[in-house]
Amino acid sequence: MNAVDATEHYETSARDPAPALLTVVLDTNPHAWALLEDSLPLSKAIANILVFLNAHLACNYANEVAVVASHSQKAAWLYPHESPVTKTAQDADGDVSMNGSSTYNNTTEGPGQVNKYRPFRIVEEQVTHNLRELMASTSGPDVKASNSTMMAGALTLALSHINRRSIAWAEAHGADTAAEASGGGPSSGGHTSGTDTAEGLQSRILIISVSGASDSAHQYIPIMNSIFACQRLHIPIDVCKLSGDAVFLQQASDATKGVYMSLTEPRGLLQYLMMAFLPDQRSRRHLVLPTRVDVDFRAACFCHRRVVDIGFVCSICLSIFCEPLENGNCLTCGTNLEMGDYGAKPAVVARKRKKKKRVNGPSGTATPTPTPTPGP
Amino acid sequence: MAMAAAPSRPFDYLESLPGTTFYKLYQQPSTALAIFRRMLPDLAKCFVMALLYLKDPLPATDLEAWVKAESLKERDNALSILGRLHILSNTVIADNVRAYKVTDPFASSLRQALTGAEKTQSFGVLSHISDGAAISIAELDEYARRQWEGVLGYMVGTSGLGIQRDVNLSKGVKQLLQAGHLVEIRDRRVEITQDGFAFVLQDVSTQVWHILMLYVESADAIGMSSVEVLSFVFLLSSLELGKSYDKKHLTSNQLRTLTDLADFGIVYQDSPDASHFYPTRLATTLTSDSSALSNPISGSLSGPSGTGLNKGGSGFIIVETNYRLYAYTSSPLQISLIALFTTLKYRFPNLITGKITRQSVRRAIEMGITADQIISYLATHAHPQMRKHNVSRSTSNQAGIPPSVLPPTVTDQIRLWQLERDRVKATPGFLFKDFVSLAEYEAPCRYAEEIGVLVWKSDRKRMFFVTRHEQVAAFLRSRK
Repeated sequence: MNAVDATEHYETSARDPAPALLTVVLDTNPHAWALLEDSLPLSKAIANILVFLNAHLACNYANEVAVVASHSQKAAWLYPHESPVTKTAQDADGDVSMNGSSTYNNTTEGPGQVNKYRPFRIVEEQVTHNLRELMASTSGPDVKASNSTMMAGALTLALSHINRRSIAWAEAHGADTAAEASGGGPSSGGHTSGTDTAEGLQSRILIISVSGASDSAHQYIPIMNSIFACQRLHIPIDVCKLSGDAVFLQQASDATKGVYMSLTEPRGLLQYLMMAFLPDQRSRRHLVLPTRVDVDFRAACFCHRRVVDIGFVCSICLSIFCEPLENGNCLTCGTNLEMGDYGAKPAVVARKRKKKKRVNGPSGTATPTPTPTPGP
Repeated sequence: MAMAAAPSRPFDYLESLPGTTFYKLYQQPSTALAIFRRMLPDLAKCFVMALLYLKDPLPATDLEAWVKAESLKERDNALSILGRLHILSNTVIADNVRAYKVTDPFASSLRQALTGAEKTQSFGVLSHISDGAAISIAELDEYARRQWEGVLGYMVGTSGLGIQRDVNLSKGVKQLLQAGHLVEIRDRRVEITQDGFAFVLQDVSTQVWHILMLYVESADAIGMSSVEVLSFVFLLSSLELGKSYDKKHLTSNQLRTLTDLADFGIVYQDSPDASHFYPTRLATTLTSDSSALSNPISGSLSGPSGTGLNKGGSGFIIVETNYRLYAYTSSPLQISLIALFTTLKYRFPNLITGKITRQSVRRAIEMGITADQIISYLATHAHPQMRKHNVSRSTSNQAGIPPSVLPPTVTDQIRLWQLERDRVKATPGFLFKDFVSLAEYEAPCRYAEEIGVLVWKSDRKRMFFVTRHEQVAAFLRSRK
């Protein structure tokens, strides 16, 4: 207090920490939930997730949530669900904090309802209502047709929503989109620390996954693209794995520095959510977070969508193939690739070092001295 | 650092309340939610949420292992605040293991807030009126703006500038401002005090809290229970803007509070006898951080009302590195505030210009305004263009330095001008001395530093000075 130090400029910004946007991608694959019926039925999981969403909203007045369902044949919004009529109204008045809530009329709010903080109630009612609608619209043939989940579509929806909200937030708060633009620009590698601390909507994605890995292999490319988009925008992808073990999601949380947890006891979902997934990016700087050390980095091949350990990579476009190509043309970029002598038995070449040694060591000692210098 | 302290100042009053008061307060889910949201640092929120649904207390070692080693200070600070607010308590589970748990009325109330509760009316009861009779959000904002500006105008004395306000302040409001030592009546003229200057220069959210805390403090004197008033304030903070709420569930004291708060523009009612009331934005953003509030209200509060000028953001002040100041405002209140520390030059219908000079700042400081108040006022009301400029600049070259909206030369110079006068700063607190050994001195000193109460220390004299002594004393006791 005795001197003003010119090197230390006081942070006099009157703003408080930026709010956080949490986007939950909920895997609603009916096949996988059927397998979990005994330990954690979907209804219970939803109840837990709703409490978690409320907890996130409770942390800050301006915090936002969004929920996307990654269903078996499509990805759908659970919250905020915008009908075409209200969408125009929202764009017109440019309201920020009331997003989604204005779409909901209060006719369902009878006097007999339990007393509850209104933002919580709106989220809950919309999520359960839309989920019920989604389930009702799923027909038997739909379920039979596919046993995977539309993770790529859901991730893309989540990303576009995050993008829209961050732009809207930045506009509403006077800051321009330079932070986002420079963070997302091609030169983002260098100044990561600068953009991390810059103010803006703090977004993150939480994937609650139940489907297995092999099911989503056919979406390898779009999933990886979304992951790289998140990485570039500094959006951590947290993964809460209730069953199975998805290869790509491990990579997702690893690449974006998110939290990865595979629950051994799905019944304790709420506690896992509250402890590991609730802290936002600011708090995470201070906390030891569960991550995976042994990340499964396997990729899926471009030709048959198989998950491969060892494959063939096109030297031009880096496409991955599980088996040698028939005529040597890359399926992605069409480059003719020389396979060389692939498959031929390596010929054992007789070593001629002994002779050389003798030439190099004319002193005639019986034991050859170990020469640490590398050969020519 | 001063900014960090300023918004929490109204809450010093809360922290000084006895534990039994907290016990009563935490009975209401809305109170638990509001306190959780507004008064806890990020890390403390994480702790509370992590512990909330745990059946057994969490061993202290587990909690300590959860936090990174380099964030020890933040952890102890969070735990210290949680302890002061009686949210987290220490217990001992089997084998003498220290453990933390969330105290009960708070835990159950927060759980009720998250999951919904059966019988309470803690989050207000909506009244059902026809849409035609409803008041729009714009009208509520206008009402809140007019009332609040009226209060500030009364304090600064804008009527002296020749502009008559059309707001009638009730006697209660004036008494409250006097009781809070924000204004003094001398020779039947209103004179603003040093605290009053500090008050008017704060952002709106802090001002509202300040007033509410004054009101709560004075509640006991006029025969109302401060706990009841306080929980009603927290209830108001959880209501939704633009909705009308039923009054028939309220107690008589709450109705009385409602009428008083209507004078400040915090709630709106058609008449004191109306069957319902509307919270204004001043009430609904109570638990938000100031940024959420600053746009709609202070934007309309400060800028010329009725124009679309403030649509993009709240600020209207541009400060250049050559100390020139441009303020796009026609509000007599804002002009008289800016005139406190600036030499004004020109006035246009929507713009005033002036210069921050040594004389003008010294004059302000002599009146009792501090440099930090001036700087935080300028930063709060900085024009969006300055924020924009700041963003583009801060990403390019100043990686390590936190971005400041104002030109650093100006902020530093304002501080230096203050330092010319201010050479002594008083901090009330407690001195610990007469330690027998260096080791005995070091541990509590380090602890005090970690929980953020240490002000000064001297290793040679084995003395240190803290702002709060309770926890250090408890620490000393625990070591014996």
